[in-house]
Amino acid sequence: MDFIVAGFIKAIELLIGGDHATWTAVWATLKVSTGSMLLSIGAGLPCGFLLGYFDFKGKKHLRTILDTMLALPTVFIGLAVYAFISRQGPLGELGLLFTLTGIAIGQTILAFPIVTAITATTIENIDQDLKLTLVSLGAGRRHIIATCLWEVRYGILAAAVTAYGRVLTEVGISMMVGGNIKYHTRTITTAIALETNKGQFADGIALGLVLILIAFIVNLSLSFLRKQ
Amino acid sequence: MTKEISAYHLKNIQHYYGNTKVLGIDDLKIEKGSITGLIGPNGSGKSTLLKLLAFAQKPSMGQIFYKGRLELPFSPSIRSKITLLTQKPYLLKRTVFENIAFGLRIRKEKKDLEKKVRKALLNVGLDYQHFATRFWNELSGGEAQRVAMAARLILKPEVLLLDEPIASVDIESAGLIRQASLNARKNLGTTLVIASHDLQWLYSISDQQLSIFKGNIFSTGMENIITGPFEKSDKKNLIKKLGDGQIIQLNMPAQTSCAAIIRKKNISIDLEKKPGSDKLNQLSGHISSMLLEKKNKTIMATISIHDLSLILKLYPEKISRLDLYPGKKVILRFASHDVEWI
Repeated sequence: MDFIVAGFIKAIELLIGGDHATWTAVWATLKVSTGSMLLSIGAGLPCGFLLGYFDFKGKKHLRTILDTMLALPTVFIGLAVYAFISRQGPLGELGLLFTLTGIAIGQTILAFPIVTAITATTIENIDQDLKLTLVSLGAGRRHIIATCLWEVRYGILAAAVTAYGRVLTEVGISMMVGGNIKYHTRTITTAIALETNKGQFADGIALGLVLILIAFIVNLSLSFLRKQ
Repeated sequence: MTKEISAYHLKNIQHYYGNTKVLGIDDLKIEKGSITGLIGPNGSGKSTLLKLLAFAQKPSMGQIFYKGRLELPFSPSIRSKITLLTQKPYLLKRTVFENIAFGLRIRKEKKDLEKKVRKALLNVGLDYQHFATRFWNELSGGEAQRVAMAARLILKPEVLLLDEPIASVDIESAGLIRQASLNARKNLGTTLVIASHDLQWLYSISDQQLSIFKGNIFSTGMENIITGPFEKSDKKNLIKKLGDGQIIQLNMPAQTSCAAIIRKKNISIDLEKKPGSDKLNQLSGHISSMLLEKKNKTIMATISIHDLSLILKLYPEKISRLDLYPGKKVILRFASHDVEWI
């Protein structure tokens, strides 16, 4: 029990003291998770809308594939991305292995099905009278799409938050694609894994606290936005 | 003299949901500036027809002409001109002001927006000061319906389609919605198509009534639909037994059918039974309601015969001669061959 208490105290010291290794891991985490979230929302939102709004042949099969992708293990994504961007891989020349960009690509693959599936479900659950109302008020296709998205904005925010939570806490992709290089590609989760292996619980707890703090700030911001 | 083009002309319309046919209209015209009442039980196809008239859906087959032009959903020439108010309209998750101004904002008509919203709210009996800044979830059912009505009236529509607009609102809201729709016709020449179970209102305001049953439309207004079960009485006839023991005899349909129409023009009314042939149905019942039809000044009488209600059209002279009034016992007659199977 003592080492946990000591861990908390050390955590506060590390954070307040501006420990370089701790803060570079925090910064790397924020950069890759934000980048991957922007990419996954950019791609997942329109895909989710199309999937939820329109009926087309093969939609059910596409939905099944998407739902399967929700359960993709991060180590498998890490392995697949590694295979593609490693020196022998088809994208090896881009030099993305052991970079933050490489991690962001993997995390985008992780978040994309979450954003798409939740957006699609949210759009599918739109009150059928909304479209009818918009048509009766003279809305064209562009206005209908924009207004539908606006009407379900909280559902879409929930998609983003869920995906962000998954991205923020994953280890497999960051470890395999990023290589856990100190001051460079070490993220909070890979650092926690490493420090725990070394028996440095205090460092691990400090980073864990930061992780929880980030998640708390994100949710608090969204809660504030909802009230607005 | 050139004949004025109808607001709507529907030709050979067939509409399906999946493999189920929900609407079939061979030819239907709705005149500009007229009030058309749509009558029919739930699930008969009224809402589907209104959605097609609103160009919110494309019919599976057939064509809809609006003011002589073949139109399709999202056509710029009809957008904002035709508007539909449903029984439970969707209010956008915004303030009352934003809900009402939405249609005008889409049209980019931002001039005098506040003045127009204020007027639209007044039209439906809502005070701007109290309601403009309220959110969609701060309204009662009746207020929400009135706000939805205001959002449509502000567009000054050429056609206002109302789908059970007063079915789930309080008496005050119902009265205001009724008045607002009639004002639109009076002040703007708006064509009104109204689906409602309030027959008294419909008959008192409408120029024509269309009745719908299982997607079939009858331009003669409400007709008598008799549904099964039917029993075979002989090779040529079916009978329907009523709860009080009376029997309706109908000629056998040429092919399997589940419902029969007895047109009101084929039903006569009397005070006593007459000795007649077996082919003549004579049913005893009592008058349950009498409604004045605005257009022809005739009376639409409903006769309750145990668990069945039949309607027929009566002229004032006949009513005076037989001294008819609600509650009076009467005899209805119609021939067993005067049946159409659907």
